[in-house]
Amino acid sequence: MNLGFEYPWVLLGLGLCLLPIWRIGAVANPYPWLAILPIDPLSLAISALIRLLGGLAIGGLILGLAGAYLQEQQVERIGHGAHIVMLLDRSNSMDNTFAGKTPETQGEESKASAARRLLNQFVDQRAHDLIGIAAYSTSPLFVLPLTENKAAIHAAIDATALPALAYTNVSKGLSMALEFFDSRPVTGSRIVLLVSDGAAVIDPDSEAALRELFKQRQVSLYWVFLRTANSPGLFEMPDDPRDDNAQAMPERYLHLFFNSLHIPYQAYEAETPGALQQAIDDINRLENRPLHYVERIPKQDLSTRCYAWAAAMLLGLLGLKLCETRP
Amino acid sequence: MSIAPNFKDYRFCLLAAALLSLSVVFFHPQTSAQVSLYRLVFVVDITRSMNTEDYQLDKQPVSRLQFVKHALRQELLKLPCGSQVGLGVFTERRSTLLFEPIEVCSGFAEIDAALAALDWRMAWAADSRIASGLLSTLEMLQGKDQNLVFFSDGQEAPPPNPRYKPDLSALKDKVAGVIIGVGGDQLAPIPKFDAKGQRQGFYKPEDVPHRSSFGESDLNPEKIQGYDARNAPFGSEAASGDEHMSRLHESYLRQLAAESGLQYRRLTDADSLDQALQQAAFAKPGTHTVDSSWRYAGLALLFLVMVYLK
Repeated sequence: MNLGFEYPWVLLGLGLCLLPIWRIGAVANPYPWLAILPIDPLSLAISALIRLLGGLAIGGLILGLAGAYLQEQQVERIGHGAHIVMLLDRSNSMDNTFAGKTPETQGEESKASAARRLLNQFVDQRAHDLIGIAAYSTSPLFVLPLTENKAAIHAAIDATALPALAYTNVSKGLSMALEFFDSRPVTGSRIVLLVSDGAAVIDPDSEAALRELFKQRQVSLYWVFLRTANSPGLFEMPDDPRDDNAQAMPERYLHLFFNSLHIPYQAYEAETPGALQQAIDDINRLENRPLHYVERIPKQDLSTRCYAWAAAMLLGLLGLKLCETRP
Repeated sequence: MSIAPNFKDYRFCLLAAALLSLSVVFFHPQTSAQVSLYRLVFVVDITRSMNTEDYQLDKQPVSRLQFVKHALRQELLKLPCGSQVGLGVFTERRSTLLFEPIEVCSGFAEIDAALAALDWRMAWAADSRIASGLLSTLEMLQGKDQNLVFFSDGQEAPPPNPRYKPDLSALKDKVAGVIIGVGGDQLAPIPKFDAKGQRQGFYKPEDVPHRSSFGESDLNPEKIQGYDARNAPFGSEAASGDEHMSRLHESYLRQLAAESGLQYRRLTDADSLDQALQQAAFAKPGTHTVDSSWRYAGLALLFLVMVYLK
């Protein structure tokens, strides 16, 4: 039991519980000689009961006034869910539509806003997940740690509505996303959800570092590639073999790199908002391994119960008061 | 024997009054109190000059950025529950938001972690065009019910050319907020880091541009040594200066604040930040319901104690 009090100093008032011992709080009837009265166990018991009721009523009131509560408790539970780090691309091209144009007419949705809408829905569907957010452009931006605070996650996803930044440096972004799992117990699924509309060449140094990180952290990777119409896709082979290199087709090569990591990896080529929905549905379906999670039971107020207790005692006293006899 | 006389007994009346008073508690009486809530968006300059170590924490020199982070984390504890805080960073010529305002009490751990993670290496480009950055921030926040808190040391890199000053007048008074000047009055060296984040001494005069060399000079061409309109619009002499050192450019920030209709305050310690932020101009009325059942329970206690007094 972790009992706590909002105003512990009020507990000093518990001294008042002794009042009924000093006075019984009943009408005193004159009697010629008290010593003549025989000792009556029943009377003594009733007298003790009356005093006890009074003391308990005062005690209940004092505990209620002191604001008794049960402290917040953490209960470990097992559910289904994942630790998800969303790695969001903030490069310029995310502000365009899937057709590669600036959104003009109503009803046209930029890639960023489509991603935002769907990610917000996704977050609401995942009840027990811890979700962290990182963003990247030329450099990685730490946004939110792994958290269950849904309001905060929505606030961070909504902030991507603002104009995007500079270029795409996916390797730094990935290393930051993997750092989120440092010093976290391995439980449930660990997911990096990369949402981007392009890729960049990963230099050999960071490639080696990433390989190691992915292996150590036991992370599965989902890449939602928001493909713009007519841009080279992940699975496309170039017409001209001379174009088959990382500079000309960074997306294809990044995909090959992810495949070579030997981790659970799934790529989605989303050319319309509907395809992005498909990717999110898949994650919902696949990534539901048993997860140890800590459920917080919020602080429970006990003062109302104390008052109810005191009220019951008062009711008893009132009843007894009606039984009093008078001379 | 009748119980009728008992109804007239003063102790009975006191007990009944106590019970009556206590029964009010079960209807959850509440009073609402007016409180000042805040909706602030912190935008922190993360350009290199913010690494200058001219603040002290626990007698250790710390960089301006670290001090700003420290002051902000302290401030989080001081803001009343129900207030909201958003966070953004500024570098190059614009700023970006990391998250929209989050409620400070329920989101304390998250905001605190995001503040702790602020780093100059988040910068996506290396210029420091503060006036443009302020303009983009104001554009971003206009029409939202949020107050801007913009932290900067006012050191533009390269130095501003008044001829190409961004025009803030269109956004003047559109966003209420405050520019917080960060840094000391004395010139201090700016630490230099390599690509891996290792410290490599300080910036030297030859490392930084000492004047803007874009477009035309704002000076009268006749005053410029070796002026040539096409080949040397800034003259033939190499610029020299102390741009490799940094201090708080307070007059420049004051000027920006005046042009954009923001206030200007200076960051000296965590309390100065609290005074700058928790001011009436930024307060938004909020109601806070207070449980007032203690009054009725207290009254009941009073009645009950009186039963035993005589």
